[in-house]
Amino acid sequence: MHLFSILLTIQGTAAVISLIGAVVVAGVVLFVVSTSHKPDTDHTAKTKVYKFRGKYFAGLLAVIVVGFALSMATLPYPQFQKDAPDQTVVVVGSQWMWKMAVSDDGTVPADVAKFKGTSTITLPANKTLKFWVSASDVNHNYAIYDANGELLAQTQAMPGYWNALQYRFSTPGTYTILCLEYCGAPHTVMTGKINVQ
Amino acid sequence: MTSFNPADKGRHKKLILIWSITFLVLFPLLITLGLLMRMNQGEMIQLDHDTFYALMTLHGLGMAGVLFSMAWAALFYLLGTRYIKLNTGVGYAVYALVVAGAIGLAIATLVGKFAAGWYMLYPLPFKNPSWPGWTTGLSIVSLILMGVAWLVGCLHVVHNLSKEYGGLANLLGWQYLGKEKPAKDIPPIALITTVSLVPGILSFLIGAALLIMYLLQLLEPSLSYNVLIQKNMMFFFGHTLVNITMYCGVAWMYTLLPEFTGREWKLNKLTVYAWNATFLFIVFAYFHHLYMDFVQPAPLQFAGQVASFLSAIPATAVTLFGLIAQLYRSNVKWGVVPMAFLLGGAGWAVGGCAAVVDSTIAINKVLHNTLWVPAHFHTYMLMGVVLFILAFLFYMGSKEKGEPLSPRTSFGFWLFVAGAYGFLLMFYLGGLNSIPRRMSEYASSGIDHVHGTGASLAYAAALCVFLVLAGLLMMYASLFGGLLKKEAAR
Repeated sequence: MHLFSILLTIQGTAAVISLIGAVVVAGVVLFVVSTSHKPDTDHTAKTKVYKFRGKYFAGLLAVIVVGFALSMATLPYPQFQKDAPDQTVVVVGSQWMWKMAVSDDGTVPADVAKFKGTSTITLPANKTLKFWVSASDVNHNYAIYDANGELLAQTQAMPGYWNALQYRFSTPGTYTILCLEYCGAPHTVMTGKINVQ
Repeated sequence: MTSFNPADKGRHKKLILIWSITFLVLFPLLITLGLLMRMNQGEMIQLDHDTFYALMTLHGLGMAGVLFSMAWAALFYLLGTRYIKLNTGVGYAVYALVVAGAIGLAIATLVGKFAAGWYMLYPLPFKNPSWPGWTTGLSIVSLILMGVAWLVGCLHVVHNLSKEYGGLANLLGWQYLGKEKPAKDIPPIALITTVSLVPGILSFLIGAALLIMYLLQLLEPSLSYNVLIQKNMMFFFGHTLVNITMYCGVAWMYTLLPEFTGREWKLNKLTVYAWNATFLFIVFAYFHHLYMDFVQPAPLQFAGQVASFLSAIPATAVTLFGLIAQLYRSNVKWGVVPMAFLLGGAGWAVGGCAAVVDSTIAINKVLHNTLWVPAHFHTYMLMGVVLFILAFLFYMGSKEKGEPLSPRTSFGFWLFVAGAYGFLLMFYLGGLNSIPRRMSEYASSGIDHVHGTGASLAYAAALCVFLVLAGLLMMYASLFGGLLKKEAAR
């Protein structure tokens, strides 16, 4: 993947922020070590450090407030989605397979243990899809990967609960479902496929 | 003012020596379990799924347990030889119970292949396990033993601190918030210990309730609990335990570093506000583990993000600025102790920054349960807590401040740090490449990128872990020699 396109992903944002943090920390360590032998004859070293703290505090607070506000724009939770879903998909995780089926009436089955679905499903591109995700036995995690191996969206699959994950595939192709919650020794083989047309 | 006679000190020295040697023996063994996991993911060796996850379970539980126990023991020693009367009998009882629990967990995982992960996420231990039922029972009982030990140990410390300093409000430094000067100074170690161990006590109580529910489930399989509530209880227990381990290390940094810099590090209004805020953040931050449980009420999700974001303020603006103020132009002699404290603070900051990034709901939706998660907590455990523990152990083993290290020990220290950051980098790159965590192997994913990149990064990480182990073992002659010298242990 092109470096620039990585930076535009959420993962890229995480990388840039963390890298800046690590570089600042490394810079501070080098500064502290390299200045430690300079004399503090007038005993003002501590005061100088603490004088800078006010500016740091204001800067950090600003970063936190702005970061918090920006992050609220792309929450994954169903109550914060603007688009109404075009189609509903029911997903049930069971040790160690995914069962998926389109729900024509948008409802979820009353008994997940009896739910019939398949581990491969075909879904439309450029439609807002609502995945109702649950589990019949233990906790699983329904994670959608594209063909390049980038994690696009995920939610937990929990016994007794239905989590609603909304996602829109913009590109046709084959997508892979991995389980991202440890669910027993064969955990890694719990995969599924979505063919997007 | 509490007085300390040589006999008291002698008893404490013997106890901390036993804890320290136990830590130094178990720590590389537990690293080796992690090494085997990365080697398997890197396709250097081939373990079956059952073995991999049994090793993962022991590595996680073992590391969390060993690091917290050592951190508690270090505080027990420093408080008990300088500030308050602590009963070494309680210290030995805690040690015996923790060791009994550790033996139980080792048998359950290594012999019985118990493999539910450190968090034993309900109802995994009870649904189609690949391990025999007795191992689940043994693991639960072992964890209860350890939990009881920590609960008793923490209650004993907090109770005696409270007796010495006139109650919990004083211990939390509230008398510094008034206009008048406090009648009696509270040492920072007392405040930070309280801020760490009181949430710890809460988490052990919740953990005990959870484990008793697990035990009942084992005895009566028809029982069924609410999955979301169980998950909240488990993460409150687990997150708090790991979080306070870090703060315990910070507590002894406040006490020991000034001996090297010659500068006071005392409480004032600001530090009291900061540590009281930290108390709240410790309690509420665990919600960030449940972001992908969309049914968790939204206010709790936001509480997780707010607490995680705000925890950066006291940690950096107060403690890390305090660390810089201790060292800047201090003419400190850069022995291993101050260097380990400085690098430990740095590791805490680097890991903390990555943690805050991951605690952003909008980012967590693509980093949750990827290698980014072990990346950040391994950073502040390995390059934070462990460096603080090494600082403590080297301090204990040195005759005088700034005692020069042998070239082999110095080389070992820097090899350990370099290897650790190499190992951590592979985790971070894994997270950025969407490589899932807790995968015994990547081939089954059916995604070329996940398999190829995941295995390559794991291979490189395993090589770095060899450096970590080599560096650690090169320090051992000096660490053991120092600790066992009669005249040395402070």
